[in-house]
Amino acid sequence: MDLFSFTIAGLMVYAALAVFFIGMTYRICHWFSTPKASIRLGMFPKPKTRSGRWLKMLKDTILFPQALDVDPTMWFMAIAFHVAGLLIFFGHLRLIKEFTPIVSALGSKGMDTLAFVTGGTFGIVITVVVIYYLFRRFASPYKDISVPEDYLLLILILLVITMGNHLRFFGDVHVADYRAYVQSVLLFRPSFDAALAHSSIRWSLVAHVFLANILLMYFPFSKLTHTVGAFLANLVRSD
Amino acid sequence: MPGKKLETLAGVIDAKMNRQLKLYLDICARCAICRDACHQYVTTQDVRYLPAYRAELIRRIYKKYFTKTGQFVPSLYEGRDPDENLLEELYDVMYACTGCRRCMYYCPYSIDTTWIQSVGKAMLLAAGKGSEMLTQLADAAIDKGKNIDLYKDIMRDVLKTAEKEMQDKVGDKEAHFPYDKEGANVLYAALAGTHSILPAAIIFHMAKEDWTLSMFEAANYGYFLGDAAKAKEIAGRIIDEAKKLKVKEVVVSECGHAHRVFKFFYEMWAKEKLPFKVSSILDKVSEYITDGRISVDPGKIDIPVTYHDPCQVGRNYGLFEEPRAVVKEICSDFREMTPNRAKNWCCGGGGGLVAEPALEEFRKTTGKLKVDQIRDTGAKMVVSPCENCRLQLDTLNEHYKMDIEITSMIDLVVRALKT
Repeated sequence: MDLFSFTIAGLMVYAALAVFFIGMTYRICHWFSTPKASIRLGMFPKPKTRSGRWLKMLKDTILFPQALDVDPTMWFMAIAFHVAGLLIFFGHLRLIKEFTPIVSALGSKGMDTLAFVTGGTFGIVITVVVIYYLFRRFASPYKDISVPEDYLLLILILLVITMGNHLRFFGDVHVADYRAYVQSVLLFRPSFDAALAHSSIRWSLVAHVFLANILLMYFPFSKLTHTVGAFLANLVRSD
Repeated sequence: MPGKKLETLAGVIDAKMNRQLKLYLDICARCAICRDACHQYVTTQDVRYLPAYRAELIRRIYKKYFTKTGQFVPSLYEGRDPDENLLEELYDVMYACTGCRRCMYYCPYSIDTTWIQSVGKAMLLAAGKGSEMLTQLADAAIDKGKNIDLYKDIMRDVLKTAEKEMQDKVGDKEAHFPYDKEGANVLYAALAGTHSILPAAIIFHMAKEDWTLSMFEAANYGYFLGDAAKAKEIAGRIIDEAKKLKVKEVVVSECGHAHRVFKFFYEMWAKEKLPFKVSSILDKVSEYITDGRISVDPGKIDIPVTYHDPCQVGRNYGLFEEPRAVVKEICSDFREMTPNRAKNWCCGGGGGLVAEPALEEFRKTTGKLKVDQIRDTGAKMVVSPCENCRLQLDTLNEHYKMDIEITSMIDLVVRALKT
C-alpha cells in the first residue's frame, strides 16, 4: 500500500470511525442528560398503552404515513432513499464476511450476479433520489429554508455514491480483494492485496473511502443525527 | 445592538432548554413536508409562515451560540444573532402562529413548532418586544385577580338578567347562579360574557349538578403572549379559588387554549400536582347525556350542520367522537368536513390572533381554507366548541358572505334540552 492510500484508506478510516462513534455517543448522551420538560407534548389520537406508544413511534418513524397525505412525491423519494441506503449498507457487510448461506444456495457465480443486480439497482436508485433532493433544494420555497449544510451533505453523499457506483460498474477488482482490504483494516494492518494494488480502480476506492470518512466525521454534528433523534422525537408525539 | 445584549437574548434558548427542544433543534432535516400542513403558508405562499422556516429562525441562533460546529463555522448553518432584524421577523412569525400543531401531525419527526415558538416569544419578551395588545389583556386579568372584591358585586349585578333567563327556561323561580359555594363538586370557569355562562348554568341545573361559578374568566392572554409567569398567575386565580372552595373538579368553558392551560400547562409552570380534576364542559355534557342526567330531543335541528374540530380540543386534547355524538343526536342532517378530526384545518383564529386587530386582514386571508371546507359541506350551521374558533368563524362568515350560523356546543344542547 502506498503512503497516500495508507493514510486515507487506513489511518483516516480509524479516525473517522472514532469521531463517528464518540460523536454519536456524545450527542445521544447529551440528549438524555438534558431534562425533559415536565409536560406531555403528545398529540391525539394516541395509544393508551405503553407498548402501543412504542409501536406507534416505530410506525411514525419508519413509515411516517402522515407525510404520504401531503407530499406523496417526497414520501416516496424518502422511502426509496432510506431503503436503498440501508440495503447498500447491508451489502457492504459482505466485505467483512461473505454471506455464506446465500453463496451455498446460489453458488458463487449466482451470488456475484445477485450482488451486481441489487447493488447496481440500489446504487442507481439512491443516485436518482439524491439528485432529486438536490434539485428540490434549488426551487422555492425549499431554497429559502435551506442552509449550506443541506447542500454540503447532499453533495457529499452524491460523491460517495458516485464513486461507489464507479467501483461497481467500472471496477475490474473482485469482491474477494475488497474483502481482503476491509479485513486488513479490521485487523489494524491496512493493506491492498496485489490485485487491488495494481488496479487503476484503487484510486476510485481511495476517493470513495475518503469521502465516506468525511461524511462519517461530519455525521454526529449534522442533521443526520435524525437517524436516532427521529425515534426519540416521535416518542414524544405519543407521550 | 451591543454584543452583551445579543448574548443575553440568545441565552433565552438556554434558559428554556429541555430534551424535546434540543431534539427539535438538532434533527430537523428541512424537508419542508410541513409546507402543506400550515394553513397560513398554503394561503399566503409566504415562506415566513412555512413551519420549518419559523423554527429555523430560532435554530439559526441556537446553532451559532450553542453548538460547537455552529460556533466554528456559523455560515454552514446560516447562524444568526438575535439582532433587530431577526427580532422583527420573529415578531411577525411567532405572533402570527395559531398554535394548531397541524405541522407536528405531518412532520416525519413530529417536531412541535409551537414548542420552538414559545422560545421565540420568550426572546421577544426578553427584548421588551412582546405583543402590546396581549400584554395589556394579560395585565388586566392579573389586575382583576388582585382586586377581585371590587368586581364581585358588579359581576352579580350584570348576571341578574341572565339568571332571570335561566329561571324562565328551567321553570324554577328559585334557581340561582351559585357563587363562592364551598365544597361544591364543580367550579365552572366561564368566559367573559353571559353566552358562556347562561347555557352552562341551565345544563348544570338540569343535571342537578352541585356547582359554583368562578369569579374569573378562563381565557389566558398570558399564554398567548408567551409569558409563562403571567400565564401562571392568570390561571392561578382560578386554581386558588378552586383550592379555597375545596371543589372536586374544575370545569373549563368551551375555550380550547384555556382548557389546555389548566389540563396540561399549569402543573408544569407551578411544579405542583393539582388536588382536583380538570375537565372541559364538553366532557361534562357528554357525561350528563350518557348518564341520563339530561336529555335532548333527537333530531331537534333539521338544517344541515357540520362540526369544526378546534385544534386545542381535537388534535391537542383528544375529543373527537364525544362532541360529534352529541351533535349527531341533536341534528338530523350532520355533515362531516374534509379533512376532519386530527387532520382538520385550523380556523385561522387561534393563538390569540382574534384579539389582535392588526391581524384581522391576515385572518381573513388565511381562513380561506376553512371557508371552502365549510362551503363544500353545504352546511347552514357550524358547531364549534371553542371561543377563538367561533370569533374567527364569525369574521369569515361576514367577510365571505357565507350565510351560516355559528354556535357553541352548550348553546346547541340547550336548544334541544328537554326541560
